[in-house]
Amino acid sequence: MPSFVRQTPFIAPLLALSLSACSSDSSTGLKPFTGTPLSVVGQAEMTARYMAEVWTQGNVAYTSTWGTRSSGGVSVPGNAVHIWKIDGASPVLTDSLIIENATTLGDIQVSDDGKLLVVATERANGSIVIYSLTNPLKPTRLARYETPNTTNGVHTAEVARVNGTLYAFLSIDTPSARLVIVDLSDPANPKEVFMRIMGAPFIHDVYVRDGLLFTALWNDGATIWDIGGGGKGGTPANPVQIGNVRTAAWAASAGGSEAHNIWWFHDPAGGANAKRFMFVGEEAPGVGGGTLSSSNGDIHVVDISNMAAPKEVAFYHVDGAGTHNFSVDEQRGILYAAYYNGGVRALDIRGDLSSCTADQKASDGRCDLKKMGRELGAGLQNNGNVYIWGVHFDGSYVYASDMLRGLWKLAAADR
Amino acid sequence: MTFGARLRVTAVGIGLLTTLPAAAQMSGHDSTARASGGVRIQAVGLVSRVDPAVANRTLTEAYLTQPVIMAHGTALGGHVAGVLTLDFEGLTLERGQLTPGAYGEGYADRRHPHTYLHEAVAVLAGAFRGTGVSLAGGKGFVTFGTDDPMMRPFVAYPVNHHLAQILERYVIAGAVRRGPVSLEASLFNGDEPLSPGAPPDASRFGDSWAARATLDSHLGVELQGSYAFVTSPELVSGGLDQRKWSAAARVDRSSGPIRYALVEWAMTDALVGDVTTNRFSSVLAEASADAKPVTLSLRYENTTRPEEQRLLDTFRTSRSPTDLSIIGITRWQTVTGALSLSRTFGKLDVAPFAEVAYARPTEELTPSAFEPREFYGASSLWMLSGGVRLGVGARHQRMGRYGAAMPNVASSTMPGSHAGH
Repeated sequence: MPSFVRQTPFIAPLLALSLSACSSDSSTGLKPFTGTPLSVVGQAEMTARYMAEVWTQGNVAYTSTWGTRSSGGVSVPGNAVHIWKIDGASPVLTDSLIIENATTLGDIQVSDDGKLLVVATERANGSIVIYSLTNPLKPTRLARYETPNTTNGVHTAEVARVNGTLYAFLSIDTPSARLVIVDLSDPANPKEVFMRIMGAPFIHDVYVRDGLLFTALWNDGATIWDIGGGGKGGTPANPVQIGNVRTAAWAASAGGSEAHNIWWFHDPAGGANAKRFMFVGEEAPGVGGGTLSSSNGDIHVVDISNMAAPKEVAFYHVDGAGTHNFSVDEQRGILYAAYYNGGVRALDIRGDLSSCTADQKASDGRCDLKKMGRELGAGLQNNGNVYIWGVHFDGSYVYASDMLRGLWKLAAADR
Repeated sequence: MTFGARLRVTAVGIGLLTTLPAAAQMSGHDSTARASGGVRIQAVGLVSRVDPAVANRTLTEAYLTQPVIMAHGTALGGHVAGVLTLDFEGLTLERGQLTPGAYGEGYADRRHPHTYLHEAVAVLAGAFRGTGVSLAGGKGFVTFGTDDPMMRPFVAYPVNHHLAQILERYVIAGAVRRGPVSLEASLFNGDEPLSPGAPPDASRFGDSWAARATLDSHLGVELQGSYAFVTSPELVSGGLDQRKWSAAARVDRSSGPIRYALVEWAMTDALVGDVTTNRFSSVLAEASADAKPVTLSLRYENTTRPEEQRLLDTFRTSRSPTDLSIIGITRWQTVTGALSLSRTFGKLDVAPFAEVAYARPTEELTPSAFEPREFYGASSLWMLSGGVRLGVGARHQRMGRYGAAMPNVASSTMPGSHAGH
């Protein structure tokens, strides 16, 4: 449909003439955090490249790098994996891996058995690089998986086991954004088992657990697929859709869901809410800014008791900042969220998140986790300029990768 | 009396497309020609040196830029007209033309090649009770902004090309003109070209629209204001939309020291839903003066551009911002001077020229993932260009308007360049 109905009237240019040619605004509207802080245990500076994702395994952390960082006319691409020892108060950089023909390594993950490190590479062409972690401090490359279907870049790569077999789930960049599933049974010889174009305008990330695949499809919301555990006959080679939810936008006028990442929470405390809630991160462009200077987007809580008809029941919002990746302390029911310029947030996600008082509800009926008192703490927001891409809870500490300044080690939140 | 009986051909209605004498166009007299047309072939041989072009490196490159064949014709006494422009930059300019600040369609600091089928538009035109009317359709320019830089005095495109013009779209444009006032509106597809050989996405026709009003004052000054809404120009669907505004004053004179001048303002809002994520703006002023035997031209530009992640080729970017977020905004303040000389050898017109540009880019956001001084290795950039414009055939005077929207052209044979300035 032509877009006549919702546009500014033609008189706008005359009004706009009064504006100068220099109106951009780096103010984000982020307020100082006055609640319980997540205290800083230590930090390791990294300013040669922009940091990206973080993953830990034992006493070692692996971080990826993003974009191009320039200094004095020398530009360094985000083609490095940094390897850190994290058994001390502050992480210590011990080694780096350089991946040729890459400008961004957006995603990094260790397999559940601790044997493999998988790194996604962007942009053209795009690939995943698979390393053996026989020596965790000295990963050795097993394969670089690069096919026409990984063009124009692997934005995220999640590694998960389905019915005993290890797979990598690759979210491929535009213009033909698609999901590619690769069998890593023989990690030196990965094999594609599935490819489908999906997402509007792209698929951004997935989450896999118990034979279910959760896809974050940006404005198409979040979709649940059976790939072996949903009872619908699905497999990694033939996912069968179970349900979809379009989560709300962070602002009513902001358009679509902007579904970016997902976590399906399993609460070992059990009860009716044990596997009831899916958390969807929304990544929205900053207003009056760009990467490193602003962000937007909420955390959305979706009740998937009926997976065929998921329903958003709650949300968490921070004025002037938007969420990015999650890590969950399931034993204690605490979700840690990277919040870019807003640092790190810790939320209590145990119990019934769909039940709240009228005062704790937004006008659309969703419960507001902040009003429910579920905000346990925040870290790094008041530590100068930060831009936190990823967090990883290792059972004791929370590690936060700061695109601007390096790797932070934070104390876990208190309940 | 029926509308058809009243319909008469006016030069205003087919102004872009005819070879009528300028006087006849301005008077609005009927054409007696039943069919007419013309073809022009032109190209620019160019050597450019940019210091620094990127990463403290000075680059010197040579190109054949703007190689085009332009054809136009009318029939049925001017009721029907057509314009065709073939652009071969896809063959000669695949790496892009070094131009500090230029951006768009996957290029940065190089001006991207245009599509082979630059323009193919058919026009039906006529008049009703003194009001010129026209309907144009095909692939071409949208009723927004100012004339294409190719028809203006400088070989280096301004930074604001993607703020101030919308082109190479499937478009249907209606126009009416009464006296000095013309009003236009158009529907088109929002998607930008993906490559020189890629056609627009026909399925998206009508997802975007634009409107423009123009006043030809008696003082020889043309004033225009326009607005456009462009749906997801960088992605097939779901990308950032754009709201665009443009206002400009233009002077075209056949005599006097100042032969041409343009002052324009343009602004584009990038949108998620109805939320403006970022605003980009431009102020540009340029003029040409005759100082026989040469033509002198000067341009000042102050434009902000979005920065996107660079690829392995640092002059290329991803075709849409990753996760729809830009990595910075750069303000480009650029002064460009040009000197050209025009000679005719039989049917061949030859115009050697020299251009020099000084650009000062600064980041608008802090912190920013794109800091110009750190990226280029200097706080200012110089570009020196020299070359020759070659052409055969009658010059087109304007580019970007059709039918009744085509203002009267003051000078049909201005010397100095293919743009006639």
